[in-house]
Amino acid sequence: MKRYAFFPGCLIPARHPAMEFAIRATLEKLEIEIVDLEGASCCPDPIYFKSKDKLSWLAVAARNLTLAEDLGLDIFTNCSGCTATLSETYHLLQDEALRDQVNERLARVDREYRGTSRVRHIATLVRDEVGYDKVRESVVRPLEGLKVAIHYGCHLLKPSRIMQVDNPDNPEVMEKLVEAIGASPVRHRNWYLCCGKACKDEEIPNQMMHDLLDTVREEEADILGMICPTCFGQFDHGQKKIANLFEKDFNTPPVYYFQLLAFAQGVPYDKLGFERQRFKPVALQRFEEVAAV
Amino acid sequence: MPEVPLQQHPPPEEGAQVRGEAPDPAAGDAPPGKGTVRVDFEFRRELARKVEGNLASFCYQCGACVGDCPAATYSDRFNPREIMLEVLYGLGDELIKEDSPLWLCTNCYNCHERCPQQVKPVEVIISMKNMLADRGLAPTSVDKVIRTFEETGRTVPPNPAIDKQRAKFGLPPLPPVPVEEINKLFGAVTEDGGAE
Repeated sequence: MKRYAFFPGCLIPARHPAMEFAIRATLEKLEIEIVDLEGASCCPDPIYFKSKDKLSWLAVAARNLTLAEDLGLDIFTNCSGCTATLSETYHLLQDEALRDQVNERLARVDREYRGTSRVRHIATLVRDEVGYDKVRESVVRPLEGLKVAIHYGCHLLKPSRIMQVDNPDNPEVMEKLVEAIGASPVRHRNWYLCCGKACKDEEIPNQMMHDLLDTVREEEADILGMICPTCFGQFDHGQKKIANLFEKDFNTPPVYYFQLLAFAQGVPYDKLGFERQRFKPVALQRFEEVAAV
Repeated sequence: MPEVPLQQHPPPEEGAQVRGEAPDPAAGDAPPGKGTVRVDFEFRRELARKVEGNLASFCYQCGACVGDCPAATYSDRFNPREIMLEVLYGLGDELIKEDSPLWLCTNCYNCHERCPQQVKPVEVIISMKNMLADRGLAPTSVDKVIRTFEETGRTVPPNPAIDKQRAKFGLPPLPPVPVEEINKLFGAVTEDGGAE
């Protein structure tokens, strides 16, 4: 078993425990051993706290990285925001002057950032350390015919020089992961659009989400495949608001990829917390009926 | 090319003209050669002290950042090229103010991706958001998340309902965060705060 330090962040453990459950269940089947990090804080978030004071933001992020360094392990994240913060910190602190500045702060709590733990997003961890074939082999009910519109979100891919995940203009990691569970990935016309969460405005994100959901609907996708918990919130809670505002039904349930994988690996539908979503991915239930026959 | 109006020396009888305000055609434009840009270097120096705050200096106004900018696509209130130009001109008053347009940035990083000069417009914008926060000008919704983080070490504060939900999935309660230790990491390195 390969061992990795797990950085779960804030949103998934607190707001979406079903996602955390799915990650732990699926990675075990893929023979990845999760090592929990004691004393981790918020990454801190790359939108709000970074807006307040970027140097303090770097110092707290570096502290989180030292927890994995102490264990001699690489770190993996399940949230695109945490990945953004930790990857950018790793990248920026290759600059010696900045690293010294951050380490002056870390010295206040008897810590030192060394830059010895790499940061991995869970999608790339599975792609690079497990492989698509092994994901395919772990599936007991291939989701054949399920059309999954993929929403990459922004921070998984960009800035690409720092994130080093995939080609930001034509990525394939999510498509391949969706294919590995037997489903059909759909790239809709507005796949590149942002969820709008960070924009402190009403109109701009509303119109963006409308346009995105509209092209997903044109493709008649069954679900919106998500990899970021922030985007998930926008398209679950937020979809209701957009539907009311534009007087249209999109009915496109967002599903976090690792819940989808858990389902394909045989975890029952009603054990995956879908009942808590505003838009429930009922299209999945037909695979359960097939399996029961 | 620049849509950002340049600061004109106002005729004496007009008194103080608002910075960056378009010259009033009725009042007659300044004669050619007399139009000037008053660069606020203090604003630029303060911005340069922020992490990656000085990158706008490399901007040559090509506009590659605009095409894929979702906020610019959906609103004429936000344009990353114009914001970088305002930074170059030192028009801090256009940006460091109440209800700053900077908060319309979606943080999507498309500008960062497209910029041929590695200006990282989004990071310059974040550095200016740091300046806004220094002056207590962050929007309430942003401020709320920041305070939650400072008080609990998390952006979602723990509560018994969360732990109950977690238990349903066989997950332990949210682990404690050493908030005091994290709070020690905030604030200036030097006594006088000059380093930041």
